[in-house]
Amino acid sequence: MWADTLFIVVISICTALFGEGLTWLLVYRTEKYQKLKAEVERQCKRLEKKKEVHGDTTDRQQKRKIEREEERLKNSNRDLSLVKMKSMFAIGFAFTALLSMFNSIFDGRVVAKLPFIPISWLQGLSHRNLLGDDYTDCSFIFLYILCTMSIRQNIQKLLGFAPSRAANKHSTNLFGPQPQQLSGYK
Amino acid sequence: MSTTKAKPEKNGTVKPSNVSSVLTRAFTSNSQWPDKDEFLDVIYWGRQVLGLVLGLVWGFIPLKGFVGLFLFGVINAAVIYFYASSFQGIDEEEFGGMWELTKEGFVTSFAGFLVMWIILYSGLHYD
Repeated sequence: MWADTLFIVVISICTALFGEGLTWLLVYRTEKYQKLKAEVERQCKRLEKKKEVHGDTTDRQQKRKIEREEERLKNSNRDLSLVKMKSMFAIGFAFTALLSMFNSIFDGRVVAKLPFIPISWLQGLSHRNLLGDDYTDCSFIFLYILCTMSIRQNIQKLLGFAPSRAANKHSTNLFGPQPQQLSGYK
Repeated sequence: MSTTKAKPEKNGTVKPSNVSSVLTRAFTSNSQWPDKDEFLDVIYWGRQVLGLVLGLVWGFIPLKGFVGLFLFGVINAAVIYFYASSFQGIDEEEFGGMWELTKEGFVTSFAGFLVMWIILYSGLHYD
């Protein structure tokens, strides 16, 4: 089992790096993205500051100003996610192809033993394409998802592509927070 | 808010020159954290290391079932709570409440813990 589990960890490291590399190539390095990202950062900071100073104010004018800032920030966030769409589609296609390839390699194979029995709505994943009723058997996809959850986020943070906390707080688009390349921009 | 001059928010990436300063402060009690993000990064990375270590220990023992998951949750939250409030003595309200600190990097740490636990458990006890 060592071989399978370690192979899956390596796969998820490689796919995370590949995904970030592709996003860098298609998005992070483009001028448009960098401008938008800097804009969002600036607006976030301005809004935070305003909220801090006038947060509890009953002054209508200030409230309206804050609302206008929020609206502007929402628009910038939306533009940012539109810029990211291109790479999301590319990554989506690449990952679907890769996953189906790995799925067929590991089809019906128990790659690991779980030290616990997953809750019923997770068993569909953890026991996917496996025979038998032993729910401590772990399928490829379950371990791969866990690895990706931990590795991808850490790689994004290490490379500085993770979204800033301030932007995260204000981003409310459908796709969740957008990873941003943050070093070197004010 | 930080009183130092405006810096871009980095979320995780600390400049190499800053790493040693951050590390020193992380291991010194009651340090000053003018940049809130630096402290949150310390919490984040500390939690990742804690997750991996707990996964290693649980896999070696081996711990099984719901107890393992429950103990991880309790220890993870408790360690971060005591580190932030007792060791560093920070004002949690500055960071948006204890909840913000408790959830910083929790999911990633949980995933790392599970991966480590599962790999060691299956490798050591089922090969």
